[in-house]
Amino acid sequence: MPTTLDTDVRPEDRFVSAFKVNHGQTLNGTSASIAQQREHAIERFAQLGLPTKEQEAYKYTNLATVIDRPYTLPLSPEMPAVTEEDIAPFEIDDLNAHRLVLVNGRVHEGLSDIGDLPSGVIISSLDRAGQEHPDVVEEHYGAYVDFEDDAMAALNTAFVQDGAFVYVPSGTLLEKPVFVLHVHAGEEDLLIQPRHLFVVEDGAVAQIIEKQHSLTDARTFTNTVTEMYAGRDANLQHSITQHQGDHASQVMTTAGYHRDNSTLTSNLFSLSGEVVRNNQTLTPDGEHCESNLYGLVLGKGDMHVDNHTLVDHVHADCASNELYKHILNDRSTAVFNGKVFVHRDSQRIDAYQQNDSMVLTNEANIYTKPELEIYADDVLCSHGATSGQIDREGLFYLRTRGLTENRARILMLQAFAQEVLDEIRNDAVKAHITGVVRDRLARSFT
Amino acid sequence: MHARIHPTTPYPPTNMALLEVKNLHVGVEDEDIEILKGVDLTVDTDEVHAIMGPNGSGKSTLAAVIAGREEYEVLDGEILYDGEDLLELEPEERAEEGIFLAFQYPVELPGVSMTNFLKEAVNSVREARGQDELSAAEFLQMVRERAELVDLNADLTKRSVNEGFSGGEKKRNEIFQLAMLEPRLAILDETDSGLDIDALQQVSDGVNKLRSEDRGFLVITHYQRLLDYIVPDYVHVMVDGRIARSGGKDLAIELEEKGYDWIRSSEGATAAA
Amino acid sequence: MSQSETEYLQGKADEEYKHGWTTDIKTEKAPKGLSEDIVRYISNRKDEPEWLLEWRLKAFRHFKQRIESGEYPGWAHLDYEEPDFQDISYFSAPDQKAQYDSLDEVPDEILETFERLGIPLEEQKALTGVAVDAVMDSVSVATTFKEKLEEEGVLFMSFGEAAKEHPDIVRKHLGTVIPYTDNLYAALNSAVFSDGSFVYVPEGVDCPMELSTYFRINEQGTGQFERTLIVAEPDSYVSYLEGCTAPMRKENQLHAAVVELIAHEDAEIKYSTIQNWYPGDPDTGEGGVYNLVTKRGLCKGDNSKISWTQLETGSAVTQKYPSVILAGDDSVGEFYSVAFTKGHQQADTGTKMQHLGKNTKSTIISKGISADLADNSYRGLVKVSKNADNARNFSQCDSMLLGDQCGAHTYPYIEIGNPSAQVEHEATTSKVGEDQMFYCHSRGLGEEEALKLIVNGFCKEILAELPMEFAVEAKELLAIELEGSVG
Repeated sequence: MPTTLDTDVRPEDRFVSAFKVNHGQTLNGTSASIAQQREHAIERFAQLGLPTKEQEAYKYTNLATVIDRPYTLPLSPEMPAVTEEDIAPFEIDDLNAHRLVLVNGRVHEGLSDIGDLPSGVIISSLDRAGQEHPDVVEEHYGAYVDFEDDAMAALNTAFVQDGAFVYVPSGTLLEKPVFVLHVHAGEEDLLIQPRHLFVVEDGAVAQIIEKQHSLTDARTFTNTVTEMYAGRDANLQHSITQHQGDHASQVMTTAGYHRDNSTLTSNLFSLSGEVVRNNQTLTPDGEHCESNLYGLVLGKGDMHVDNHTLVDHVHADCASNELYKHILNDRSTAVFNGKVFVHRDSQRIDAYQQNDSMVLTNEANIYTKPELEIYADDVLCSHGATSGQIDREGLFYLRTRGLTENRARILMLQAFAQEVLDEIRNDAVKAHITGVVRDRLARSFT
Repeated sequence: MHARIHPTTPYPPTNMALLEVKNLHVGVEDEDIEILKGVDLTVDTDEVHAIMGPNGSGKSTLAAVIAGREEYEVLDGEILYDGEDLLELEPEERAEEGIFLAFQYPVELPGVSMTNFLKEAVNSVREARGQDELSAAEFLQMVRERAELVDLNADLTKRSVNEGFSGGEKKRNEIFQLAMLEPRLAILDETDSGLDIDALQQVSDGVNKLRSEDRGFLVITHYQRLLDYIVPDYVHVMVDGRIARSGGKDLAIELEEKGYDWIRSSEGATAAA
Repeated sequence: MSQSETEYLQGKADEEYKHGWTTDIKTEKAPKGLSEDIVRYISNRKDEPEWLLEWRLKAFRHFKQRIESGEYPGWAHLDYEEPDFQDISYFSAPDQKAQYDSLDEVPDEILETFERLGIPLEEQKALTGVAVDAVMDSVSVATTFKEKLEEEGVLFMSFGEAAKEHPDIVRKHLGTVIPYTDNLYAALNSAVFSDGSFVYVPEGVDCPMELSTYFRINEQGTGQFERTLIVAEPDSYVSYLEGCTAPMRKENQLHAAVVELIAHEDAEIKYSTIQNWYPGDPDTGEGGVYNLVTKRGLCKGDNSKISWTQLETGSAVTQKYPSVILAGDDSVGEFYSVAFTKGHQQADTGTKMQHLGKNTKSTIISKGISADLADNSYRGLVKVSKNADNARNFSQCDSMLLGDQCGAHTYPYIEIGNPSAQVEHEATTSKVGEDQMFYCHSRGLGEEEALKLIVNGFCKEILAELPMEFAVEAKELLAIELEGSVG
């Protein structure tokens, strides 16, 4: 039974009353594993309230304008009809993958195509995993995202129903990537709160490729929480493409936790959206970890993208890399707030962070705040931020070789983005995103 | 759409001088400085012209203005290319018309792959000249041949443009691009500067192989030594924004012996007379 | 470094905070607490014109409103107890005198005080080429070389004098760069400011000497609330330096100054600070000055330039962001800073560069050094407004950690609304390299000497920005700070 938010009351109260109405009914339909934290989460959400611009973390991003709408909360398992043809355009060429499809935040088993899996690997809906593998879910669910000081994570935890679940047991090499496709469908304006859990045990290797798209022009607000775990010596690569169109807003909170000698890499591509806020935290809790965060924002129209990242160096002898690039056209805005936190005893940390922006018009804006907060002395940390235009000398050089000013500009912008694209390890994904970026840039200048 | 000089005539056109620079006065945009103070120069196909001169005499400015660099402002005079006004054209249109500038300081383009860059450049120039776009195989074949011509390691074409290239590699890369783009007027702006003897020979060999009856060269250099390798038909000496003296290849040797002061003083004498 | 120099520095270091003594002089001190009456009392004691009192009262009401609404600026990376504004005496004048008309009137104890600080107030003894305004607690004690400067038309005097003698200039500019509504401490200062310096450089004049103000907090239980205003008319130049010290006190003392700079067309103001307020007990963290200062310059005219240089070694808590509003086209803003924190010191400092005019340029070089239990933060804003075409900024913020219990943090804010802006920010945090130390050792340098050498190198480009007369003092200060910092 869908519940429509009552816009006559304070936004916080809408959620609280929606929770009260549905609590004990539809919200109980989920497994106990993921329902356990609901009560406390809604209480915490009510205390914290929705983020406002007065808070430092939301200084440049106004969620109120996009959250204060009469969205419907789809709390029942029914979902609009979506066909293979509908989702075909969102496929990635030559990507031979285990496919999990989510419609409006719930796994659609009919459209999913998991295929054969190595022994012990689980790819399913989170709800099903909670019922069939409660031990795994209960060990990791809610362990890496802390909602005590994060209203949006609390809200997600209160309403959680389903999402993607991937489990790769110790020592297993999952050769094919997991492709998680999210689509929005239906006529209603929706507020969706998916919850994903990816667990890669000791020595296991996996790639998870997420793409977010929409089949509808209705307005949507997605409040996602994703938790990732990589055990000792594990390697998890996670890429997300955000491309839901300019009626879609979202807050996406991702928390990755990893152990000794493991590598956790995130590649994030923000290609469209109304207001998009990403909170990404990596916590390398063990020695010799490598944590990588890469992002590319292609701003167009009135798009607003806010990337908040935190690499929380709680353990000594680790390295982290972070590179975010913005290309901002039209009236788009990008915010980057990257923080590297080195705790007192986390010696010998090598942390690198860079944010580069190209602002193409007078109406586009960039707000960047690369932060270092360091309490250990034997570290090598650096950050940099640049903002500028396309290099004039480079443009001239290309033009003396016969390229038109437009072609030269596109080539230079593509080269600017290339550094981030080069960090994609999967060739099919890399070719796909590179093509999307090339087409977008070509369209922007012709 | 920009004006084209020869919308219908086949490439290359004939019967007038390739490049005519007439009484060219050039300053820097927004600044009250005159760098070129009345340059006259005619270059035709099948000719190699060398321009020598001390630092700051305006040699590189002349090259930049012919290639279309926007920071310079033409205060007076004209540049005709095949008898038409060159100054009206954008830099890329000049490239399409067959003008090539080998940069003194080739620009590094991080992230721009040599292959992409060359393909775009070659095909846009070919399209403008009414030639067919090259197929991938033809293009690669051409890259291999021309790279060999200038002794450029073909592996360099897998890297970003000029990024991480040594000084010699950058200069050879310029000559390699010259070979790829097949211009009618090639301008080498101090291509010899900073090169060791081997690199100097490689670059010169490349240029000599590219000399042809359809192509004119304007070789700008500070030193006579380059002209031992690339033997010019004409030598011009530029001093203080003017061509102070022109002559045959012997002028370069005389200049090497007597130094630029000789020109300066003899020019002073001419002016006084 | 020669042996004798090392010994000298060692001696200095053993003194610990060398300016920690007090002068025993008779004072007139206002009762503790803040009220409209106190504001009237201060204005009255300083014999101020009515308009200035009115302005103070407006500021006071604004301050009160902020306090009543429970506001306290808590966003900085600082941990200290909010001062009790009712437990401070807002006016303290030595010897019943709110103003001295000549040096003869100044009591010997005070002259000796400044002499002991290395600031002789008799002109014949003074450093050539430097004019000094000496401020003790709430009162300007003496201003040297006043007449000589007046010959060039340069006005250099205490703020109090200026309010009476040049009310038009003061009234025209006061609060125009930092309105009393700017922040809590600007409001407080505007209500109760005691004294400070006033500089006016007329059109076309290159101020012939370095101007300098020396601030000394002496009395117990007082705060220092000076206000400085520097106006540079078109095509003029002035270089100004402030220095500060305070006695060792067990309680915290509040220093809340306001500095306003205005540079007209083609004018240049160079403002340097050597801040050495009492930092508190290095072991217990007890006492020390809360240095909460608002400093801002306005590049009002085209082609104007404002440059801030600071060496911050003192104070228990420092929070200041000397800023430049680049309003004029082609104007230039600079910020060069060394902040050294050790013991229990905390500093949250940086700058704001607001690009409004076209072709404006700013440079930020900040060096933070942290030792012992200290916390050192750089916080800065580079803002390029929509119409600020061709703005350029380069920022470099380096931090060095000299121990495993200290912290170094960098919070740069960059806001860009114009596509032609070129902004570059770089920051690094590192410890002194073992290979650097080893290299020095292998050349015969001891641990401490090597460290001094490396830290001096780290700060070199900032120290080079200080007027020559003070660069030596700054180097010495830094050397003393480094004593005992080898972890």
